[in-house]
Amino acid sequence: MNKTNILIGILFSLLVVAALLKNWNHEQDPENSSGRSEVIFWHFWGGEDRDVVDDVARRFNASQTKYFVRPVAMPGNNLQAKLFLAVAGGDPPDIVNQDDPVLADWGQRGVIQPLVDIAPAAEVTEIERWILDSARRLSTYQDKMYGLCNGLDIRALYYNKTVLEQHQLQPPRTISDLDEIANTLAPFQSTEKKQSYGYIPDSRRLWAWGYAFGGDFYDASSQRVVVDSPPIRGALQWMASYAQRYGSDNLAAFRQGDQSLPGKIFPLLPLDDQETSGRYSVIMDGQWRVRNLAAFTRNRQARGVATPEFGVCPLPIPETGSPRKNAGWVNGNFFVFPKGAKNSDGAWEFAKFWIGFTDPSQAAKTCSQGGWIPVSQTVTQDPQFQTYLDENPLFRTFVELSESPNQFPIPSVPGAAFFRRTIERAAFQAFDDPHADIDKILKDAEQQIQTHLNRNDNLRDGGRVDP
Amino acid sequence: MSQSTTNLKQSEKVDRFAGLMFCSPWIVGFVFLFAWPFAASFYWSLCRFDLINPPEFIGLENYRRLTSELQSQKGFGLALTNTLYYSLISVSLSVVTGVLLATLLSAKVKGQAIYRTLVFLPSVIPIVAASVLWIWLLDPESGMINYLLSWIGIPSQNWLNQSRSALSPAGFTEFSQWLQGGALNLFGSKDALILMTMWGVGNFVVIYLAAISDIPGQLYEAAEIDGANVIRKFYHVTLPMLSPVIFFNLIMGLIRSVQTFASVYVLSEGTGEPGGSLMLISMQLFLSAFADFEMGYTSAMAWVLFVLLLAATTLLFRTSKHWVHYRTSS
Repeated sequence: MNKTNILIGILFSLLVVAALLKNWNHEQDPENSSGRSEVIFWHFWGGEDRDVVDDVARRFNASQTKYFVRPVAMPGNNLQAKLFLAVAGGDPPDIVNQDDPVLADWGQRGVIQPLVDIAPAAEVTEIERWILDSARRLSTYQDKMYGLCNGLDIRALYYNKTVLEQHQLQPPRTISDLDEIANTLAPFQSTEKKQSYGYIPDSRRLWAWGYAFGGDFYDASSQRVVVDSPPIRGALQWMASYAQRYGSDNLAAFRQGDQSLPGKIFPLLPLDDQETSGRYSVIMDGQWRVRNLAAFTRNRQARGVATPEFGVCPLPIPETGSPRKNAGWVNGNFFVFPKGAKNSDGAWEFAKFWIGFTDPSQAAKTCSQGGWIPVSQTVTQDPQFQTYLDENPLFRTFVELSESPNQFPIPSVPGAAFFRRTIERAAFQAFDDPHADIDKILKDAEQQIQTHLNRNDNLRDGGRVDP
Repeated sequence: MSQSTTNLKQSEKVDRFAGLMFCSPWIVGFVFLFAWPFAASFYWSLCRFDLINPPEFIGLENYRRLTSELQSQKGFGLALTNTLYYSLISVSLSVVTGVLLATLLSAKVKGQAIYRTLVFLPSVIPIVAASVLWIWLLDPESGMINYLLSWIGIPSQNWLNQSRSALSPAGFTEFSQWLQGGALNLFGSKDALILMTMWGVGNFVVIYLAAISDIPGQLYEAAEIDGANVIRKFYHVTLPMLSPVIFFNLIMGLIRSVQTFASVYVLSEGTGEPGGSLMLISMQLFLSAFADFEMGYTSAMAWVLFVLLLAATTLLFRTSKHWVHYRTSS
């Protein structure tokens, strides 16, 4: 019995010593904060992007004597619930990266702080002027900046130049041009199943086409949902016309097939060496596909296989109505600063460093590494980023589009997640049923969203959290 | 005498205390992890509560909203309809298929163990992995299910990209048009989910197999003497003797089907789409709680669901008197 006790005592002591040694080692870690004030940074990046994030943190830490950023990769799913619990529990991170349309929800509920609460008002005003319109829209709720956009996601049309030239077609500038491309490469009259299409709209992209047709989904001045308006109706009617022409079931099956492509390859790319065209000759996607195209081209060139040429163009616009040039749907990543955070000052310094407000060359380096769109023209003009654009000419179109005043996000209102779901479901319904009454679908959606937003408006204002 | 009684009482007290101490982990767990959240969720169902700010009492407002959504078939109404469709069909099919498979697998044939393993195997595959596999199997262009359907002359179905359901008025119209030479787009995402659930029927089969092996052989012998053929023996002996297990599986299957979440989340990429057809109650609960921050409304929905499940279970218990046959000791 005594021996057993002694053995347990020795084991316990060994455990304590091991724990102390581990802690001592941690203190000796060259990557540690060494007395600096620690900034806890939650983000969801993984893979190649995570290396870029770690590098930004390393560069920031190297530039600092006061603060030390510790990035913590969190799974993107349920990040909201985790953050809410952390805020309610009084131990939130100092800075969080997010890309879902939650800014207004979080702001209204007092989960995050407006920038003027954590930074000098003059500096916030200066940053407001310094960043692009699209980036500012993503960070603003009720005319107040609640976040700081750190990278933009822009959608444009990728096209297979080689295929278009073979058919004497030009990159589309108008909706009629796009229809002509679609009809030439896969005639509208034939409803039989096809191996490839010139272009087919995706029902999830009503946001982008709605803005390009000159529409708005929400009128901030009257706080009304305005989904059932002529431009949005026009956009949805035009999109759904493809389902009527080709057969909604054929299109649905074809779209589903995109998910089963080997390695989830970009469907613009040909699947084998003998082919010039992929499943589509024109497709809407974001700037991250530039990497895929570059890798594909490099691979083919290395093997001496003929490579089709690709291009990128802004969303075409209709000839009638009041369309917007270089318009589209913008999304992006933004930093938010949770209420009750212990080191908002350090978090603010890190955010400024990341977006290049303190040193544009640092952000130019980050954006070149990650293939990300800068949030300010100052960063874009940096020689390092210009070199990146020269090496990746397709990327330039996305950067130019990001500077357009006609790039709009999902409306920044509490209940934006519901807004998004309802719009996308309405568009799906219009696609799914060729005889659907689009007017009624949009009216229904408008009413549902408005009811939901009104319910949210009845919530008390944010800022009542006492961590 | 009185000394020994006192000692006995004291030892009883010590035993009771020790018993309570041994039970305490469960009692603490029950009170804090079950009873308290259960009661709290009822209070929240009468509140506007966004998870972060204190709940604000609003009376029956959340229940009024549920009623109105039930009438308009939006939100909760749509989710309840979807769940009813999925639960009724998947549970009924699970029972029928489970009993039939178990009857077949109980036949003493060569390779019986292999067949049993094959039937049970899918139910041990993690749901997320199985769901990803089914996304491939149900691909309209290259999926194996459509390939198999083509053998019996059924054209390619859109499964996960279709909000229609086979057993609905639209489905019947579609089917009758197909018989007259039209196209056939019968199955949608709910049917895909049911198909996937059927794949995991092995859990039920194991229970049926155990019950079948427990049926006394004399009953079959008596039936044979009475001249019963295979079908009559199945109908008059196997089914009645299996009825307590069928009843158990029916209730467990119903509860499990209403709780189905992981597969729906994977198949619809966390959205409940296409066209809201995969918006089962579990998905609606998840989205309204953690995407829309409506914990009060979500709690009300959960309570309505609880009452409905309780009612369905009570109804099944009431009807069980007429069709469930328990073996008596005599």
